[in-house]
Amino acid sequence: MRAYLPGYELVVPRDLAEALALLRDEPGAWKPFAGGTDLMVLFEAGRLAHRKFFSILQLPELRGVEETSEHVTLGALTTYTEVQRHATLRREFPMLCRAARETGGVAIQNRGTLGGNIANASPAADSPPALLAYDAQLELISAAGSRWVAYGDFHTGYKQTVMRPDELVARIRCPRPSTNAKQYARKVGTRRAQAISKICFAGLAEMFDGRVAEIRLAFGSVAPTVVRCRRTEAVLSGQKIDAATIRAARSELAVEIAPIDDVRSTAGYRLRVALNVLEEFLSRLAANE
Amino acid sequence: MATNKNSNGFRRNDGNNADANGKDLKVVGKPFRKVDARAKCTGQTKFADDIVLPRMLYAKLLRSHEPHAIIKSIDTSKAEALPGVLAVITGKDLPIPYGILPVSQDEHPLCVDRVRFIGDPVAAVAAIDEDTAFEAMNLIEVEYEKLQTITSIEEAVLIDEPRIHDYGEGGNVHKSVHLEFGDLDEGFAQADLVREDVFFYEGNTHLPMEQHAAVAHYDSDDKLTLWTSTQTPHYVHRALAKTLGMRAAHIRVIATPNGGGFGGKSDPFNHEIVVCELSRRTRRPVKVTLTREEVFYCHRGRHPVLMKIKTGVKKDGAITAMDFESFLDGGAYGSYGVASTFYTGALQTVTYDVPRYRFKGLRAFTNKPPCGPKRGHGTPQPRFGLEVQLDKLAEELKLDPAEMRLKHLAPPNSVTANYLRIGSMGLGKCIEKVVKGSDWKNKHRKLPFGKGVGLACSSYICGAGLPIYWNNMPHSGVQLALDRQGGVRIQCGSIDIGQGSDSILAYIVAEVLGIDPFDIRVLTADTDLTPVDLGSYSSRVTLMTGNAALQAAERARELLSIAVAEKLCTPVENLSFADRRVFDVENPETGVTFAEAVVLAESKFGTIGTVGSYTPPRSPGKFKGAGVGPSPAYSYSAAIAEVDVDAETGFVTVERVWIGHDIGRSINPMLVMGQVEGGVYMGLGEALMEEMIYRANRNAVHKFPSMLEYKSPTTLEMCDVLTYLVEDADPNGPFGAKEVGQGPLLPVMPAVANAVYDAVGVRVDEVPITPEKVLAALRAKARGKEARFGPTGVPAVEWPDALKVLTPAEGGDGKEMPRVAVHS
Repeated sequence: MRAYLPGYELVVPRDLAEALALLRDEPGAWKPFAGGTDLMVLFEAGRLAHRKFFSILQLPELRGVEETSEHVTLGALTTYTEVQRHATLRREFPMLCRAARETGGVAIQNRGTLGGNIANASPAADSPPALLAYDAQLELISAAGSRWVAYGDFHTGYKQTVMRPDELVARIRCPRPSTNAKQYARKVGTRRAQAISKICFAGLAEMFDGRVAEIRLAFGSVAPTVVRCRRTEAVLSGQKIDAATIRAARSELAVEIAPIDDVRSTAGYRLRVALNVLEEFLSRLAANE
Repeated sequence: MATNKNSNGFRRNDGNNADANGKDLKVVGKPFRKVDARAKCTGQTKFADDIVLPRMLYAKLLRSHEPHAIIKSIDTSKAEALPGVLAVITGKDLPIPYGILPVSQDEHPLCVDRVRFIGDPVAAVAAIDEDTAFEAMNLIEVEYEKLQTITSIEEAVLIDEPRIHDYGEGGNVHKSVHLEFGDLDEGFAQADLVREDVFFYEGNTHLPMEQHAAVAHYDSDDKLTLWTSTQTPHYVHRALAKTLGMRAAHIRVIATPNGGGFGGKSDPFNHEIVVCELSRRTRRPVKVTLTREEVFYCHRGRHPVLMKIKTGVKKDGAITAMDFESFLDGGAYGSYGVASTFYTGALQTVTYDVPRYRFKGLRAFTNKPPCGPKRGHGTPQPRFGLEVQLDKLAEELKLDPAEMRLKHLAPPNSVTANYLRIGSMGLGKCIEKVVKGSDWKNKHRKLPFGKGVGLACSSYICGAGLPIYWNNMPHSGVQLALDRQGGVRIQCGSIDIGQGSDSILAYIVAEVLGIDPFDIRVLTADTDLTPVDLGSYSSRVTLMTGNAALQAAERARELLSIAVAEKLCTPVENLSFADRRVFDVENPETGVTFAEAVVLAESKFGTIGTVGSYTPPRSPGKFKGAGVGPSPAYSYSAAIAEVDVDAETGFVTVERVWIGHDIGRSINPMLVMGQVEGGVYMGLGEALMEEMIYRANRNAVHKFPSMLEYKSPTTLEMCDVLTYLVEDADPNGPFGAKEVGQGPLLPVMPAVANAVYDAVGVRVDEVPITPEKVLAALRAKARGKEARFGPTGVPAVEWPDALKVLTPAEGGDGKEMPRVAVHS
């Protein structure tokens, strides 16, 4: 029981190169510190092994939102508040804006960053299901260079990712969804703010000729990582949405996800709500809402 | 009707603002600001943790990480050797036990030979700064021998050994009571319908914004001063004298302004005693501020209570008999638990007529943080069960639940079956107000699936009729000193925990003396300087300190009147005190200023000071156990909640609450409204999400001792509240005032539960009503099972023989019936 912080070191690199050099020279020793909304909680609770931190919040290379006709690319330091205020994101990426609005409270939204939400790799994070449904790609940078990975391939296990100890998340690139795409997101927490999810869903689909032409389904808090439910998507792909399809999709989803009991909810509740939320999305698709 | 909760103004029932003699009131009934409001709003108020004294040390308590174990050894040598450490103490240094109730002196400032819950303190250090104290604390080595852990009511009644305490009713039963008022069999035989229901109310905690903090200074004259965030400085004073082996006259306890209490700062706490001992040893001031995690483990919050209620009713809903069983999970120590146990069975009878009543209550010891009083102390749990059961009874009888309640209200100025004397009783008006305001008749059972309304009522005491320790002295004392320049000083032992008790003193004295409340210096909660008030608990302060202040002020006015009447050559009865003047009502220009009046009085009588005190009336109950429940007056509340239930997720949103509260009279309607809304807010937390729960691996570790995961409503969950104040002056209240600090919380939880049923047709007979439980009940309903989530039974226990008392209607005298010897 402590109201006490251990000693720590916090440096402010002058530029991105200096930040990446820290990671290169002492891999694993330095923890990047962006908004700090996760790190400060863990640190105060004595659950963070690191004692060396470097701030990246001041690095302009990791900021900004760029648009091309194909993509919208967000700097890793884009805050939840910036997401909510961006006109294009509001118009074309409502699920991401909704996730940003439902993350923590106003103070957390002002400081917390998308890159941090991704790098922290919590299975209960709010923005990742939307990013999965938008088929996002991540740019990982290091002193050795840069590489792009599909966000769907980013998580490898509970709090495990393909990121190397010398890398930072630099940018998040999302293809602009077609104007025909239907989007539906839902977060269920104990309360409407300042609550980590019991379950979180994002779904995006395009219908053609009454059939599912493309569908992407993603959940948070139902597995060791946020998950894209490709098997359930396969069950739905090319199908008309009727009672039988919904039943088949529910059955597939029930075996595709593996929720657990924890302090926020139970496995049984999460499973049932996941199925109900999926059904709600599919019913809306069928009704062309 | 206004729908904006901030603009609906103050609804008065009587439409005027005059005292019992018809005199217009200038201060009472007006929405003055609090006397301490500006300091609170601008951050100037000095709380306990803001106190910094020269050469001050910091203390940390090492707390057990074992839930139940014998202390084999404690090695403090490494901690003592750490530079900057000035003292390390353990249980043997403070061997005298204490506890809030004389019958439960079962705590030690530091555990002597055994730890009983995770968080029980075993050693303490004082060091030059908090970091050094923390480091030293971690250098203390404790060797434990583990004992079996008892984690639930069910385990406690089954497992006799090991015993958590060696006193109580045997095994791990702390207290069990069995009271019977009237012939229950006859009552149930008369009933047209009898229902038996089982309910569970999970424990929750106070969650004050301010963590507990205390600073002790044992000075060079061997006098000890303790500044502490407490609701009960007088009881802390007594506990310090006992445990430190000091004369009470050498100890001064100053209660600092409270950043929230809600019952959580009503016990004397181990950290308070520990800093005093550390200061005595080091002769330096010592401060301790608990971490938020420690506050969760100190707890003393709402008891988890399992209940079985059997109620018989006639076709029109008239109750013929009620049999109430409650099982309390007390945690590791006694605290207020014996009183809590009685409270789970006391107030069932003051809302509706219950002619025959039986109460069986049992409190168990478990290896968890001790439970105690939280807002409503022991009564929200039975009230939840009772009001939900009434909703079920009304449905079975095809009666409107509001009509059914209205028809069978307990009458005013009556004595209940269990010998509680009811004075004023405004519950009927409260129900009528919320029924009309909410458009109940067009909503109940008429809204679309997913939307619903629910009604519930409640009552609460305006101060416990008896003190914590037996004595015949007043419960509250006020001293008034009048300065010849017109200043007035009020001294009273009461502590303002945010409810506005300092302000109430000023308003009442200002009203009587005709001066401005902000002219008055209010000095409270300092055992060296103020007469005893028992503390800010049991909703006693406005009624008791208010009456004491009223008496002191009237005595001062009398002295001033005599002197001024002499000077003005006017009869005393012609004098009026208003607008900082004392004048002849028949000739208002003839008068003196208030300051001149004090000069005249001081010239005539010498230094002007008066006292007032208040002792509650004797209760008609004379049986053993009659001490819990009696009060000078009872407040009443009725609430209707309107909810939205999402059947997909089980998520309950409370959209609006209409609440009527019988306040007797508002001393300050703005503060009353604030308390009502605060009660609704806390009630929503209890109804929907708050719970003190522990990991199930038998280690009894709190699942989430932090504000991150112990979920309490945010501003987004707070609903609109429409408040109706019913003002029907009670003869025992100052200007007729009754309580509001606790009562309005009580109807919220059952109103929400009843609304959930109205919305989706499932009963969640358990608090909190989480989405998981709603969804489970909906699933049961869809599968054709009972549309309910809740407990199914209570443990079978052997109750002691009933203590039988004839009811007043049966000609009883409030005494226990002689037990008839059975010859075989």
